[in-house]
Amino acid sequence: MSDVILEARRLRKQFGGLAAVDDVSLSIKRGSVHSIIGPNGAGKTTLFNLLTGTYKPTAGQVFFKGEDITHVPLHRRAHLGLGRSFQITNIFPNLTVLENVRLAAQAMSEVNFHLLRRADHFKSFIERAQQVLEWVGLADMAGLPATVLPHGGKRKLELAILLAPDPEVLLLDEPTAGMASEQVPELMATIQEVRRQGNKTIVLVEHNMNVVMNISDIITVMNLGKLLAEGTPAEVSANRTVQAVYLGELYTHTEG
Amino acid sequence: MANESRLASWRRVVQENAPYLAIVIFLIVFPHLVGWITGDSPFGVGGRPRGQSVFWQSVLIEVFILTILTMSYNLIFGFTGVISFGHALFFGLGGYILGGALELVGLSPEVGLLAGVAVGVIVCGVLGFAMGLVTLRLRGVYFAIFTLAIAEMFFIYFGRLPLTNAEDGFSLNALPDLINPTRNRLTYYYLTLFFVVLTFVFIRRLMHSPTGKVMLAIRENEGRAQTIGFNTLRYKLLAISLSAMMASGAGMLHVILNKKVGPEILGVTYTVDPLLMTIIGGVGTFSGPIVGAAGLHLSERVLNRQFVIGPLTIDVGQNWSLILGLIFVLVVLVFPKGIIGTWTQWRTRRRSSIG
Repeated sequence: MSDVILEARRLRKQFGGLAAVDDVSLSIKRGSVHSIIGPNGAGKTTLFNLLTGTYKPTAGQVFFKGEDITHVPLHRRAHLGLGRSFQITNIFPNLTVLENVRLAAQAMSEVNFHLLRRADHFKSFIERAQQVLEWVGLADMAGLPATVLPHGGKRKLELAILLAPDPEVLLLDEPTAGMASEQVPELMATIQEVRRQGNKTIVLVEHNMNVVMNISDIITVMNLGKLLAEGTPAEVSANRTVQAVYLGELYTHTEG
Repeated sequence: MANESRLASWRRVVQENAPYLAIVIFLIVFPHLVGWITGDSPFGVGGRPRGQSVFWQSVLIEVFILTILTMSYNLIFGFTGVISFGHALFFGLGGYILGGALELVGLSPEVGLLAGVAVGVIVCGVLGFAMGLVTLRLRGVYFAIFTLAIAEMFFIYFGRLPLTNAEDGFSLNALPDLINPTRNRLTYYYLTLFFVVLTFVFIRRLMHSPTGKVMLAIRENEGRAQTIGFNTLRYKLLAISLSAMMASGAGMLHVILNKKVGPEILGVTYTVDPLLMTIIGGVGTFSGPIVGAAGLHLSERVLNRQFVIGPLTIDVGQNWSLILGLIFVLVVLVFPKGIIGTWTQWRTRRRSSIG
């Protein structure tokens, strides 16, 4: 039981008459890469938002390290060690790239209510931000306003903001969304690197099948708000129902 | 060695702020300059506060007060991204509390002044905090509407309150000599100038602090600021409390200058003016509020007369709202980010294209 770091128990989210997530239970093991896949509208992102606290569930609970965090507000979850990235790029557009990441590093500290000290007096956050930018390959662009970055750069910045506070669990919502395909391996290599270095747990929602199959330890397949299957990449790709509902459909789409 | 580096850091501060220092020095000598040019003493003519120098001191004091009010508005609107339509509440309430302490309680002028300033600033800070606590959990426009409603409520209430002489208001006579603008206009000029500098320095310092950086992050993307671990409500409450305190100070300076307290200081003008001045000067810039307040108020004062162009007679004073509207539309079209905002953008672009 102790190797489960994040757990969903019978989660349900109702939007009007539609149950976007319907009675979903999920256990995510410490140190694993756990992917959630499924066709469009399967409820992946809703489940994700329930795990991260963006949505409050209609029913069910979320546990982090055995503690019920269902009603813990968004900003407290970050302090517990849960970090998330967004599918739609979600940055501070008119601040510099460095400042975007520096803020994320500062968020975990005790200095937030220093009103009259200059922020650049606290060097450790700047150093941390520079280190993370180096990692994701944005060090050259640190001084630019975030809004001028190309799309791929914004995706990297998104990841850097997530990494800066050094969370234990990284919840990545389609990190490669809209990225040029030649940039994807680089980003995934960074994620792998992060995981190896810090023994992180990674929860991944992703459309790119190559990415999912290569990186995941466990894959959960969703369809119409419910769990369809769960297992290793080999098990999931061998599963007939999954093939019928999702993989088959996707592969015929991409081939056709 | 240590002395040398201290000297160097002072030199750096002076160099970085050279334009501001030049403006402040100019404003310090300005009354004497006008006095020297026109021959009217800056201390008044014939023992009374009259003459060109004193007139221009009054105009600039008004500009200074509006600048403080606009800077306080810019702190929440421009730097934190919270839109309030009730800023006049803090301006007016500050004025009423100070006026009440001076005239209605029966304290000596000196004690009344200190008590009024302390109580007024604290009450407005707490009121801003409370209003934020009730509504800032809601997004944008709900807070704006709520603040408008509360401000109008106070406006109507004080317009009917017998204690403060309802809509006629009451005049301030029990002022300590030192800050009495009729006796010591020049002193009052320097006092308000000092508060402009103080507010400016404080806000700039704040916005470079870790706390200010979080406020900027909230303006840019509040949802993300929450996700990375900031309790954004706290920062918004802090911003609005500080802003309310500064606005109350501006209101106090205003009632002392006019020696009158009436419900008009709670009126929507003192919300709309700082809003327009912020937008015209540049939302979320340090000097934008100064440019906006000075630009609008000076043009109102300077253009306030009849212009005859051929058969056409234009009375600017009577049509000021219309002209203000035209200025606003023009500025927004020509300088979409306000005068300072657009200028800064243009300058950075030019620099980066050279480099």
